[in-house]
Amino acid sequence: MAAQLIEHAQSEYPKEACGIIGGPPGEASKVYRLTNVDPDPVMRYNADPKELKSAFDDMDDHDWDPVVIYHSHTHSPAFPSPTDVERAFYPDASYVLVSLMDRQKPDLRAFRIIEGRITEMDVVAGGDGQGRL
Amino acid sequence: MAVEVRIPTILRKHTGGARAVEAKGATVREVIEQLESNHPGLRAAILADGGEIHRFINIYLNDEDVRFSGALETPVEDGDVMSILPAVAGGAARG
Repeated sequence: MAAQLIEHAQSEYPKEACGIIGGPPGEASKVYRLTNVDPDPVMRYNADPKELKSAFDDMDDHDWDPVVIYHSHTHSPAFPSPTDVERAFYPDASYVLVSLMDRQKPDLRAFRIIEGRITEMDVVAGGDGQGRL
Repeated sequence: MAVEVRIPTILRKHTGGARAVEAKGATVREVIEQLESNHPGLRAAILADGGEIHRFINIYLNDEDVRFSGALETPVEDGDVMSILPAVAGGAARG
């Protein structure tokens, strides 16, 4: 699944890509690519509200939650910016960042952002459909 | 008009953990006022200081984003579902 996020980030470059991964608690099951409608899409992201609602409706149908909120940084490292922290409204989700500072070597890291505190998480690569990224 | 209001995780601290609550009102604004009476703190989380819907909060009546249908003055029908979803938003550091 990490490969899907990186591919999405590459396809939106130099704009920031964004989306959600839904699933049962702690299990990444389905990627929802969302359109970045922020007026400054190279430096900011804001997911299309209509697509966001559709993604949540689909997750509700499955009794899923947003397990991961992801976005890309095209000119900075894969670490949450002050804006990311300020706008981290999903404390139960992991925030995954894909950096394309070096487009040939994308970097992907995951964090929890709770009440302004950033904690890095391990990313288990695999894409085996069993909840691992 | 009684509506079901779906509450996002980050705001459930105001509803005792409930994922959905019931509220009454003829418009979105009235529903929010009743939410505030029953669950103090919700209004400040949903509305900005100027009284408009907070920039990073989306409110939907059934499937429609109320920003495009009258915002806080959008009429509410009995049995409607009002969903509150915080934005999925952020951005890179400038510098």
